[in-house]
Amino acid sequence: MIRRNDCVIETIFLLLVLFCTTLNGQEKKTMYGNTSEEMFPYHKFQKAYKYHFIEPVQFYGAGREKQPPKDLTEVRIGFLGPLEGSPIVSLGQQMLNGSKLAIEQANDQGGYNNLPFKLMVHNDVGLWGAAANEVVRMDEEKVWAWLGSIDDIVSHVALRATLKMEIMMVNTGDPDPTFTETNIPWVIRVIGDDRQSGYALASYIFDTMKHDRVAVIRSNERYGRVGIMEYSGVAVRKGHPMRIEERFNMGETDFTMQLENIKKINPDAILIWGNAKESALILKQIRSMGMKQPVYASDRTVSQEFLEIAGDAAEGLVSTCPYNPEADNPKLKGFQKAYTQRFGMQPDVFAAHAFDGMNLIIKAIKKEGLNRVLIRDVLTDLKTFQGYEGVTGKIILDGSWNDIGKIFMAKVKNGKFEYSPVPNQVPEGQGNKGQHGGQ
Amino acid sequence: MKIHLKYPTLLVLFVMLVISSWGFVQPKERTESIKDTSKTYGDKNRTASEKPMPIYGNWISYDSKNGLPGDKAYCVKIDGDRVLVGTHEGLAVLENGNWKTYTTEDGLAHNGILAIDVDPLTGDVWLGTMGGLSRWSTGKFENYTQMNSGMPNDLIYAVTCDGKDVWVATGGGAGCYNTYTRKWEIFTEENAPMHEPWTYGVCASNDKIYIAAWGGGIIEYTKKTKKFRDYVDPDGNMEIDLFPDDGVVHDITTGASWSNGILWVATYFGLSRYDGVHWKGYFDHDSGLASNFINYIKAKDDIAFICTDQGLSTTDGENWITYTTNENSKNGKTILLNGADKKELATSPSLAHNFTIGVDVEGDRIWVATSKGVSRGQLMK
Repeated sequence: MIRRNDCVIETIFLLLVLFCTTLNGQEKKTMYGNTSEEMFPYHKFQKAYKYHFIEPVQFYGAGREKQPPKDLTEVRIGFLGPLEGSPIVSLGQQMLNGSKLAIEQANDQGGYNNLPFKLMVHNDVGLWGAAANEVVRMDEEKVWAWLGSIDDIVSHVALRATLKMEIMMVNTGDPDPTFTETNIPWVIRVIGDDRQSGYALASYIFDTMKHDRVAVIRSNERYGRVGIMEYSGVAVRKGHPMRIEERFNMGETDFTMQLENIKKINPDAILIWGNAKESALILKQIRSMGMKQPVYASDRTVSQEFLEIAGDAAEGLVSTCPYNPEADNPKLKGFQKAYTQRFGMQPDVFAAHAFDGMNLIIKAIKKEGLNRVLIRDVLTDLKTFQGYEGVTGKIILDGSWNDIGKIFMAKVKNGKFEYSPVPNQVPEGQGNKGQHGGQ
Repeated sequence: MKIHLKYPTLLVLFVMLVISSWGFVQPKERTESIKDTSKTYGDKNRTASEKPMPIYGNWISYDSKNGLPGDKAYCVKIDGDRVLVGTHEGLAVLENGNWKTYTTEDGLAHNGILAIDVDPLTGDVWLGTMGGLSRWSTGKFENYTQMNSGMPNDLIYAVTCDGKDVWVATGGGAGCYNTYTRKWEIFTEENAPMHEPWTYGVCASNDKIYIAAWGGGIIEYTKKTKKFRDYVDPDGNMEIDLFPDDGVVHDITTGASWSNGILWVATYFGLSRYDGVHWKGYFDHDSGLASNFINYIKAKDDIAFICTDQGLSTTDGENWITYTTNENSKNGKTILLNGADKKELATSPSLAHNFTIGVDVEGDRIWVATSKGVSRGQLMK
């Protein structure tokens, strides 16, 4: 009898405990980042007082009533990218080519009401904060929207400027997760970010490959610092914090000191986060030092440049890719053919995503006309272009207008990358639905 | 034996219940706790929160149809008998009942004017534009740019005069221009505790400068020691505010204003108040704040004037007044929130637009810059 009473009392207490944990819970689901409950910060310990990005921020300003000038001879769209004076010029050139191809194809189809689209091209490298000045110039040029850029430092500075100028920005190359965590309703990003990449790598490394002790070597600038953050957070939540975090500078060619430190702790695997060139050199040096651990890397390694520099050492490397360039997608095949014909080279990830992003801008202008606010409205409404089938696949935006569509694992086999689905990826459109407490 | 075991089990469960309830801070509990940090007025029995909040009305608006060179007004500054308005198309000045516009043709660095301050020592007007800093003195414009003066960036989001110094906030760092030596000192991630050099607001107190750094919270600079320290959101995550009153509500800060010992911080995620010891956070769901998206903030005496994308809110930290307009008519409403008491007053006419971007207050006058014109209000008796 006493035992039975104990059970009843304990059950009541247990129910009370469970009730208390949801007492202040919000019923609305977050629309953010494909973040599962398991990966949400502090989820095991504490509900947050306030969850952001539950609902997209709207733009409540004026301007929807503005009529376009009657004397237009062209429809200007801006472009901002690293075109000279930057270590990622090759990526910027591909992004420019993808944008150009979209513009040329649109003009072949009559442009906008028989007015040709014109790309206003800006280089984002220059004096400090050059991107801000370039956005001002685009405002003076009266562009209707613009596309860019790749480097986080450029994109963030440009984003704040574009908010002031009220010009819609479509980003197709910056993987910084914090870029869309700014609540600015004048940007969409149509490429998977380092949050998605970090989640995928962490799942693959710890759940699929069952590694435990992982060493990290990353570039010592914003791309490496912010890029590794999401992977690092998930690794901790999965119970496998980084065993060591070594850094290198862009342009560095000798990584002996960092790799000796890594070698000393004898990790199960090594993760490199950096640009293609340095990552390839690091990988070669890892192998030349006799380290045989599996190596993983950030998605900038998924490039011809990486394969050429790394050579045989690249074999077995695993990374992620924001799309599958070998997908059986007629749109993609058509794009690849047209791009190769036009530019005499294979398109890379930046070209393909820029092509999609520029097409979204063109479609938004064709749908809403020449009004910056209306172009913004349609690109951010999460309806009109939600699920847009581009050459990179289906584009799905979350509540911060960040692309949470499918990304892929990329593994080097026989000297080339092979693509496969990400393990345990939340089905499209069903991600980031963890219910969280607080307001 | 079983009876002996029963009580420890219950005790453990009870402790679990208490612990599991602890983390969930209720808005009501927070509201009560702020009273402890309220400033005391001359009347010792009266706190700031009990002092009546000023209410403004009788709004008169100006746009491109009746005086401004363009509809979009970024900032406004009351300068004695005249009013300066920064628009996308130039500087508009209201003096003796007449508007006059100044543009690049008159010597301005750029027509887009985002920030204005007036040096109380010299009367010089400092204009932060989209293409450099302009000093308007004795009827002439003198321009400072990256190329001619070493300024951090040409797009200037905020400008503040502080004694002989003029501070600017830009996406390339914060700059301090010494008007005596005519030299710039630049503050970036290289020499200040910022993650990046992206600064979007700057204000001065008696002994400190506060810089709103995008992603870096608030950077405090002590003038005497020339030392920096930073204030960030302790939870370290962009997608949440774990505890509401543990620091600035978000690391993405967009503006700051200091008055009477209180620092007010604007973000696109809510509002923060810092009394030098305690931080307090405000969101649209737990206060009278019109919206979490704050374009600009200005503190005057004990009141913060908060320009949001859905109206102008004012607060003393406890009581709130929000001014909004109806997009489909010239009427608007004034919403008064005093604790749990909420009142709405119809206003006609109202503010020019709900999307408020700048504000200034002097005596019984208030001027508000909006997405569609600028509005002047009067203190209601």
